[in-house]
Amino acid sequence: MERTLLCEIVTPERIVYTSEVKMVIVTTIDGELGILPLHAPLVSALVPGEVRVRYGNDEVEWFAVSGGYVQVHEDKVIILADQAAAASQIDVDRARNALDLTKQRLEDLPKEDKAEYDSCKADLKWCELQVQIGGKQRS
Amino acid sequence: MANLRDIKKRIGSVHSTRQITRTMEMVATAKIKRAQEAIESARPYALSMMEVLGNVARYAKGVEHPLLLEHEEPKRVVAIAVTSDRGLAGAFNSNILRMTERFIAEQRAAGLDVDLIAIGKKAAAYFRYRGIEPIAAYREISDKPTFADAKAIAAHVIPGYIAEELDEVMIFFNRFKNVAEQLPEQHRLLPIRAELIGEVAEGSDVTAEYIFEPDAASVLEYLLPTYVETLIYRALMESAASEHGARRKAMKSATDNATEMIGTLTRSYNRARQAAITTEIAEIVGGAAALED
Repeated sequence: MERTLLCEIVTPERIVYTSEVKMVIVTTIDGELGILPLHAPLVSALVPGEVRVRYGNDEVEWFAVSGGYVQVHEDKVIILADQAAAASQIDVDRARNALDLTKQRLEDLPKEDKAEYDSCKADLKWCELQVQIGGKQRS
Repeated sequence: MANLRDIKKRIGSVHSTRQITRTMEMVATAKIKRAQEAIESARPYALSMMEVLGNVARYAKGVEHPLLLEHEEPKRVVAIAVTSDRGLAGAFNSNILRMTERFIAEQRAAGLDVDLIAIGKKAAAYFRYRGIEPIAAYREISDKPTFADAKAIAAHVIPGYIAEELDEVMIFFNRFKNVAEQLPEQHRLLPIRAELIGEVAEGSDVTAEYIFEPDAASVLEYLLPTYVETLIYRALMESAASEHGARRKAMKSATDNATEMIGTLTRSYNRARQAAITTEIAEIVGGAAALED
């Protein structure tokens, strides 16, 4: 039997996904990183972007992740993110609406409110990601 | 002897009060379960985060971060009081409010400035009335806190701490010990207690040498603020579960008291009725006796 990885995607609120997979591809600060079984222990920061997992039968599933970090240890990949969603679970229309609303909010926001501005920027990025990745179906 | 009709009216009103308290008790019971589940589902994240933090602390010795640094000569502290939006929960809010107030008084006596962040309508109202205006007040999050709420609260203190505008952050909340018991607690959020992370590192059996990408300092850069957010999130959830626990207990004793009161009132109602009947019979007998003569 082929070696597999246990992949877990966890947010502070819940476990989004957990399954045995063949390969995990994450987006780190330095670019995409593919993780196969027997990978060396690693901790890396992630940027907002996509996570792909490849199953034994070469099916691929997409996830949107709003940044965070990944820890690899003994064939266990834990992705810790503020927000995460499986592409198949994303409601693209809703995300698009949210995107427009957030854009509007960002324009109306005074630049002085740095904390609010940053969090709004992060929301915007998250909405964009969902729209972008939501279209990708499991293949 | 109280009037029959008055007693009947009181029984009616106590009865409807009991109906309300009983409903609130049942609602709270249901909500405790939900709140406990939320705490449970947050655990994996917190545990993995502690593990990674422990590893970073162990393998990246000498890495410093402003959030770990204690400030010499503190001048300004921030107190975060976590309360509920609604009352009728026994001593749930007053414990926290008293604790926070004492802390503020102590710090002020020591010559420090204190800023307050009020979570829940109760904290905001209490301190405003006492002339302490919160620098930030949150409401309608105490029932079902989200991580985004915790992030927003953290955003009030983390940049300030890094810029050395404030020197200590304390959070006051009710810890959910079990369904019947809540413990008011105070925790220091900032500076992060480095020894706490060290302890976790000692406890875990992970011996592997980790690769940090891009480097340990950057990982720490991301992890530590998130750690603070996780702590706040945890406090909010503990408080939510405690609130429902406290309310359930308060409503249970209210319901019990109402039941007892209805019993007492029913007894006096029956006694009064009996007395009225006796009087009536005595009058009739007396009247009949008078006619016979």
